[in-house]
Amino acid sequence: MNFYKDHYDVIIMGAGLAGLSCALQLQSRGIKDILILEKHNLPGGLATSYVRNGIEIEATLHEMMSIGTKEDRLKVGAFFDDMGVDIDWLPVPEAYRFLQTTDGIDITLHAGYRRMADEIDAQFPGWGDKVYEFMLLMRRVYDSMNILSVTPMSKPEMLLKHPDFVKTVGYSAEQVMSTFEFPDEIEQILTPYWIYVGNPMNTLPFTIYAFLMADYFCGSYVAHGLSHEMSMKLEKKAEENGAQIEFRQEVEKILVHNGRVTGVRTKRGDEIACDYVVSAAYPNKVYTQMIEPLSEVPEGAIKAVNARNLSVCPVSVMMVLDGSPEELGISDYNIFSGDTMDTTEIWDNYHTAGPYTYLTSICLNLANPDCTPEGMCQFSITALPLVDSFLDVKEEDYPALKRKLAAEMIANYEKNTGINIHDHIVEIEVETPITVAHYVGAWKGSIYGYAHCMDDHAVARLQMKAEDHFIKGLEFAGAHGMSGNGMGPAVTNGRAAAKGILEAEAAKNKKTPASVIKNLIGGAGK
Amino acid sequence: MKIDSFLKDVGGASRVTKARRMSYKNASAIPQPKDPIRELADLLHPDKMRFVVTEVRDASPTSKTFRLESVDGHIPVFQCGQYVNFNLKIGESVLNRPYSISSAPFEARGEKPFIEVTIRRNRPYFVPDYFFENVTEGTLLDGSMPFGTFYYEPLRDSKNVVALAGGSGITPFVSMAKEIAAGYLDTDLTILYGSVHHSDIVCGDELARAAAACPRVRVVNVMSDDPEWEGEKGFVTKEIIEKYSGEDPTYMFCGPLPMYNFVSKVLGELGVPVRRFRKDVLGQPADISALPGYPAESVGKTYQITVVRGVREDVIPASASEPVAVALERAGIPVDAHCRGGECGFCRSQLLSGEIFVNPVGDGRRAMDREMGWFHACSSYPLTDLKIKIPIL
Repeated sequence: MNFYKDHYDVIIMGAGLAGLSCALQLQSRGIKDILILEKHNLPGGLATSYVRNGIEIEATLHEMMSIGTKEDRLKVGAFFDDMGVDIDWLPVPEAYRFLQTTDGIDITLHAGYRRMADEIDAQFPGWGDKVYEFMLLMRRVYDSMNILSVTPMSKPEMLLKHPDFVKTVGYSAEQVMSTFEFPDEIEQILTPYWIYVGNPMNTLPFTIYAFLMADYFCGSYVAHGLSHEMSMKLEKKAEENGAQIEFRQEVEKILVHNGRVTGVRTKRGDEIACDYVVSAAYPNKVYTQMIEPLSEVPEGAIKAVNARNLSVCPVSVMMVLDGSPEELGISDYNIFSGDTMDTTEIWDNYHTAGPYTYLTSICLNLANPDCTPEGMCQFSITALPLVDSFLDVKEEDYPALKRKLAAEMIANYEKNTGINIHDHIVEIEVETPITVAHYVGAWKGSIYGYAHCMDDHAVARLQMKAEDHFIKGLEFAGAHGMSGNGMGPAVTNGRAAAKGILEAEAAKNKKTPASVIKNLIGGAGK
Repeated sequence: MKIDSFLKDVGGASRVTKARRMSYKNASAIPQPKDPIRELADLLHPDKMRFVVTEVRDASPTSKTFRLESVDGHIPVFQCGQYVNFNLKIGESVLNRPYSISSAPFEARGEKPFIEVTIRRNRPYFVPDYFFENVTEGTLLDGSMPFGTFYYEPLRDSKNVVALAGGSGITPFVSMAKEIAAGYLDTDLTILYGSVHHSDIVCGDELARAAAACPRVRVVNVMSDDPEWEGEKGFVTKEIIEKYSGEDPTYMFCGPLPMYNFVSKVLGELGVPVRRFRKDVLGQPADISALPGYPAESVGKTYQITVVRGVREDVIPASASEPVAVALERAGIPVDAHCRGGECGFCRSQLLSGEIFVNPVGDGRRAMDREMGWFHACSSYPLTDLKIKIPIL
């Protein structure tokens, strides 16, 4: 009556983008004996969709970054190509339209550093070159980050080869931007994406802000078959390569003996042995609930998870509307709108239970016209608050809270843009941190891992990689990984987890000739 | 590039690493295992529930209402129109059946919280037989809830709801009528309820009580074959719908497929916009071969299904006239079907080889699932021998 083999080399908990990318990376380096256990009944984790009355609705993806064009791939796009995962990418038409109602700012920016600089110049003559210079600085930081995250380097060499990266690491996004002395409106225009990595600009590391801006302004993509296409094609490839993938299997315990992983136990009760576990569950959950016995958890692991703050979580109103974008007057794929771009003020607002004022809207049809039947469109409004105000919600109050938040967000969006939404709703679902916890089991309904801030800086994470490793054979792959949140970084985090395993295997096989080890780990995270 | 002094600029990496180490050092060493968000999610969607039947009463000459309390005392919040899914073992079969909850949500929040389901048996039928013959006061039933998206959504729907119900399709509207009458749901409700004969009216007394107690609830019974009936006669026609609709209504439909086909045609003629017409899940038809597109040569055939779960394989027989989910259930292999109309996707399964016929009514598969060979077992029928992979339950 056994459904599993007695032993696997690697068990991956979670068939999200990170777990699947980890599997593909391991398979490409010769580790094939892999079991993937997924809580839900489909792959993807948050990269997913659902169907209402025959219409498939994108659950999460706004823009996929790090893809690049066919000719000039960025990191994630290149990885998919290398793995033979062929996604039908559709370019997102613009980076964003920014509508700030108090100061009357209304501008639409497109991908391409020069193009967006020119678009700003058209409204603020004389500033285009300086904006372009700022974008190029951010691109240099981006390129450096991609190299340094996989290639260790001495400090002098780093300063010599990556001076801008080195010199900006210690500063917030606000501090570095202020040296350009942009007018206030331009600073605001360059800020909207902050929330995808938020902390406010005065505590957000410039490094991560620069990474995000440089990447997004290369252009971003959505998959023709929604984010479920990515998930399905990664899953299929991992399965073709020999992985066993089982759905509806939530791992309840990670078994540890003498500081080393020995296997997992599922909620169903299956106990399965392995050498390595890759966890999509947050370290918070793993170190406080899942390790068996808990006495195997070192104090340092508890302190590490207690030291770190969770990033934002979603409140997203997802709708199908009964008109085409043209009929409804929706002309932009992505609008950031609100009455202020003061990120500290927005952050305070995001610590409340609404009404949320800073909103992101996506009209998917403008990138993916086939995503609804004709004469309809798929439209979402999202706020990204902190989890705090959801921690004490009572079960009885939850449906009303969801509706209140959604009604406020729709009303605020209508006020900001003058577009009528509420008379056109065919389908509506409201996603909250509770939704996320239910479907993917993420700790406190988190989608973005740990907050990027000056005392949890991406560069410090990289430097402390060894210190962050507490149990032999246990790797993490998800938004809580080193590269942080977003679907692009999820792929990178999955590959980093694979690299951890490959390095540990290489160290185990010390007698193996150096050239073989190099081949084993080389390119595992280019 | 210069931000501050050269030394301060180049010292950034050391500075941020030191800051991170300090925050680790200063952090509490006390584990914080509590996750209130997951706890709330689990309260709203308990994995498994156990119910005890506390009352069985007649809801019409051919239907019974079963009152259920939760053994642990907790019933998750639900919306009128949502359903409970029972996990049953009848003979050698293990199976699931969804039933709309006919009690009101407020009744699940009081001192003695309960839900009710109302089941009709107007002819011998597998699961209704089981309920009528085996389920009595004290019976324990396993299941889970709430499921389904057929409910009044104030963000979208008009405060003038016109329910179109046929037969046992009345149950979601009984829940709604009671919730409105008790003052917990803010909408007007007109129920146009089609039956053959007045003895077929399910939950007639409860509907009448709700209507008498609250002017916002109105019940119009329409009899298709009842000479003594003094009210509306015939079917729920265009004329009747127009007569009772009022201004800008949201129509909510629950009933059999032929009635749905008729009603959706009528509402189309009346120019009702898509967003003003909601329908409950339509189950599988009694005879799938009557559907357009079903290959005539498959009628009466039986096939073999190789069922893969993990590293294990089982071979089971399957009839071409029954969904794959039923073949699994007959063989005692658990499959987590919920809606049984192809919509919800809980029984999502992988087709490794062979051909299936998918009931086009309510086909809720995602586009990539369709393209890459995934199907919903509750609404897919074997046309050849199959090899499928399903979750280990």
